[in-house]
Amino acid sequence: MGTNVFAVQLFFVCFRESLEASIIISVLLSFVKQCMGQPGQDPEIYKRLRRQIWLGSGVGALICLIIGGAFIGVFYGLGHDIWAQSEDLWEGIFYLIASIIITVMGLTLLRINKAKEKWRVKIAKSLLKNQEDGVPKHRLATWSRKYAMFILPFITVLREGLEAVVFIGGVSLGLPATAFPIPIITGFAAGLLIGYFVYRGGNVMSIQIFLIASTCVLYLISAGMFSKSVWSLEMYRFSKKTGGDVAESGTGPGSYDISSTVWHINCCSGELDHGWDVFNALLGWENTATYGSVLSYNFYWIFIIVSVWLMRYQERHGSIPGTRSMWKALAKVPGFRTRAAEALNGPTESDRDIIARVQASNFHGENKTATGVSTTAH
Amino acid sequence: MKTTLRQTLQSAVPFLLLANLCTAKTVTYDFNVTWVTANPDGLADRKVVGINGQWPLPIIEVEKGDQLVVNMHNGLDKASSIHFHGMYQNTTTEMDGPAYVTQCPVPPGMDITYNFTVNQNGTYWYHCHTEACYPDGYRQALLVHDKDAYFNENVEEEFTITLSDWYHRMTESIEPEFLSLYNPTGAEPIPQSFLFNDTLGTSISVQPGKKYLLRLINVGAFVAQYFYIEDHEFTIVEVDGIYTEPKVTDLIYISAAQRYTILLETKNSTDKNYPIVTVADSTLLDLIPSDLQLNHTDWLEYNKDAAHDEAVMKVEESSELVPADDAALVPYDRQALLPEPDLEITLSVVMDNLINGFGYAFFDNISYTHPKVPTLFTVMSAAEDQVSNAEIYGEFTHPIVLEHNQVVQIVLNNADTGSHPFHLHGHAFQVIDRYPPQGEHFYELADVAEPVEFDPNNHTAFPEYPIRRDTLVIPPQGYLVIRFVADNPGVWLFHCHIDWHLMQGLALTLIEAPDQIRERVKIPQNHYDVCSAAGVAVQGNAAGNTQDYLNLQGQPRQPAWLPAGFTPRGIVALTFTILAALLGLASIVIYGLSDLTYGKEDSSLAGDSQGPLEEPGSTPRETVEAKRN
Repeated sequence: MGTNVFAVQLFFVCFRESLEASIIISVLLSFVKQCMGQPGQDPEIYKRLRRQIWLGSGVGALICLIIGGAFIGVFYGLGHDIWAQSEDLWEGIFYLIASIIITVMGLTLLRINKAKEKWRVKIAKSLLKNQEDGVPKHRLATWSRKYAMFILPFITVLREGLEAVVFIGGVSLGLPATAFPIPIITGFAAGLLIGYFVYRGGNVMSIQIFLIASTCVLYLISAGMFSKSVWSLEMYRFSKKTGGDVAESGTGPGSYDISSTVWHINCCSGELDHGWDVFNALLGWENTATYGSVLSYNFYWIFIIVSVWLMRYQERHGSIPGTRSMWKALAKVPGFRTRAAEALNGPTESDRDIIARVQASNFHGENKTATGVSTTAH
Repeated sequence: MKTTLRQTLQSAVPFLLLANLCTAKTVTYDFNVTWVTANPDGLADRKVVGINGQWPLPIIEVEKGDQLVVNMHNGLDKASSIHFHGMYQNTTTEMDGPAYVTQCPVPPGMDITYNFTVNQNGTYWYHCHTEACYPDGYRQALLVHDKDAYFNENVEEEFTITLSDWYHRMTESIEPEFLSLYNPTGAEPIPQSFLFNDTLGTSISVQPGKKYLLRLINVGAFVAQYFYIEDHEFTIVEVDGIYTEPKVTDLIYISAAQRYTILLETKNSTDKNYPIVTVADSTLLDLIPSDLQLNHTDWLEYNKDAAHDEAVMKVEESSELVPADDAALVPYDRQALLPEPDLEITLSVVMDNLINGFGYAFFDNISYTHPKVPTLFTVMSAAEDQVSNAEIYGEFTHPIVLEHNQVVQIVLNNADTGSHPFHLHGHAFQVIDRYPPQGEHFYELADVAEPVEFDPNNHTAFPEYPIRRDTLVIPPQGYLVIRFVADNPGVWLFHCHIDWHLMQGLALTLIEAPDQIRERVKIPQNHYDVCSAAGVAVQGNAAGNTQDYLNLQGQPRQPAWLPAGFTPRGIVALTFTILAALLGLASIVIYGLSDLTYGKEDSSLAGDSQGPLEEPGSTPRETVEAKRN
């Protein structure tokens, strides 16, 4: 297995993005089923909403495919030659972007259950507004309320998809086109499959373990990318100074800047030797480690560790030490007053209450919602 | 130290024939060496090394058997010296000129006198032999006329033609970029132009139907050149000072430091002028800038008024030109192949990087690093019983001690993909084998994976009368085999004559018959004065140790080798890296597992139909109402 036919990063990117999208869709589906699909409720409405969800997802995916195709086409058609000239520079930049995206988005994967809950609340809130606000103030508001079940999956799929596109473009710089199809297809398939299991409710524990494992891999890739981005930028600087001699030097002496090297082995190049290129893709392996690449790799993990423990602390204790006093200070600044108050006092209504309210109001005020939707539909 | 019989010759003065031809005379040159400005290619003014305020430099001309005295005053702001390239310096090894080998570098403001007998004939040259010196223009022809030369009757007039690469920048400013972390492949600096007699586009005025002798010398620092004259054949009669059997050809290849003397009979018509074409060997250049002109036209001028047409190139690449094989020439004296060697030295030419990231050049694993005490001075100052011990000359001068009158064979295997002109001081060696031979296959090993090494049991037959010369080109990834008799006691450098490669250390030191050196050589006081002015020790081993010559503590060394794999530093770094990654993964796992609490909460909330609908049903409605109120 070489990176020529299977780019591991691409697989994980596609997997992650499609999983996220499918989970949101599945939450929507089960929510709609729960609220509208009960016996005694109007099957027409339920069907219509379900159709909206699938339509939204489909249109989102389609637009995303078009944009993605164009993006990658431009990327390879126009840009590739220019970028190939200073490949190290562009690789450095794209790896940095990719690494930041994974870092920010990656941990949410571990909060699927929490995310499901959040989404449920979000949907519930939008439905409640629908009922409570009475006469809509203008058309756009009416429209967006009416097609909430279309817009939500549409936006979600579009967002995840574009993320994947940017990511594929960034990561795949320098990869041959043959490395694309298999990881992308399998990645999407795996993501959708897991999404389906989540929807079906399956074994929560084994899904979670799977998610943890894949998140671990994702972060290994990301740490490697971060380090590689530093490495590439350094290499760019070095090869620029050497006037391009480095590229032809293979793995031996002269292919690296000895003055900033922590270790170098004259083999096992992550770019030239087969087998090692998988390590390069997964862990960012290079046969030359510079101070920059080693330190950035370590600092990346330290950052991840600190972030994870802060998030955990916040979940357990409601806030991170020191943030309360920060918000208090901000509360005195005019522009931040509302936001600070919100952060300090927390939501007025508990999530659990909102969900319960929706379930209740739907159950009891069934006709109201139903007629509301059907009349505007005419 | 000035000779009483003294005759100062100016550069423009042709060689003088004294009335008394049989008596060897003393020819004296006073060289005041200073910086002057010159613009030989019309492209850029630059500072060059001038002699007596002049550049191009004066040609040294002597008769065979003359005593040559050169008094040099170093008016530069850096050290210099003069090496008389091709002179055997028999019994006068101290006059050879390379700094830290046979003398100390002459510091600014100091004078040095070179004084030796020229018992040889032919075409030579002189040049500075300190680091990064002669590419700044400090090089010129040295001609030894021979009234007994076998071809004299075919010569009515003679010309000297020097070919050279030319840089617009000072060598000392190029060197730090060349020997640099940022030049890991050791790519040689690309010259800005190529000169013909230190200028461009000249005409050599000839008469029809006349016999000329042309002495061709490549005084360049780097690039070899091809030479031909359109529609003319010529006859090689001498290479590197050795007369050859006449060899008719129409194209020759002249590497840096090589010389060819050719006989040319002009045509009978004066209708047109013929381009003399010189083509730089572009295989040596890592890149060819668009503004670098590789081929040049000068003219064999039959008729001043006729057109001077530019040469029309017949080839795309210089390597398509197929010159005569110099190894196939036969010496006029028919000196036979030397007997089987008493000493065989087998060496590889290697280019590699050392710990500072610079590119270096090696014979085997040694990159020449000059000693603290010039090697000749170590020979003179060491104890009698230690001079034959190579150790005292230091590991990094790559010393090899030769016994008097040994037949020495040097087998040089080129592990590098470039060709190199190798020069031996103090000798003309027999060229007994070379592969691939000069000709159309010369460069064919440049791209093969494994270099071809000389196999003593399987090689082409050695020639009966091998040609001798002092500079020979080794083909890319091929080999050469040379032989000579160690009959010239002295300290002789064997090195690549590409000056950049010499800077990279492609040199070794032959200490030939050290006992005989001590008997025959007396270093003049002036040379000791030069050393004291330069602050260079004149006693001691390569490390300057005068007490124990076998103790080389402190000898100048080449930088360390690159570590081949993990150093302790690398292992520590890798350990921490792995540790950081594992801790990070552990944190993610713990964080991920804690999400299961939501899972439980979630299932209680989101149960499809079994959710407790009635109970919570009432509470929210109250809240809603409360809110509406």
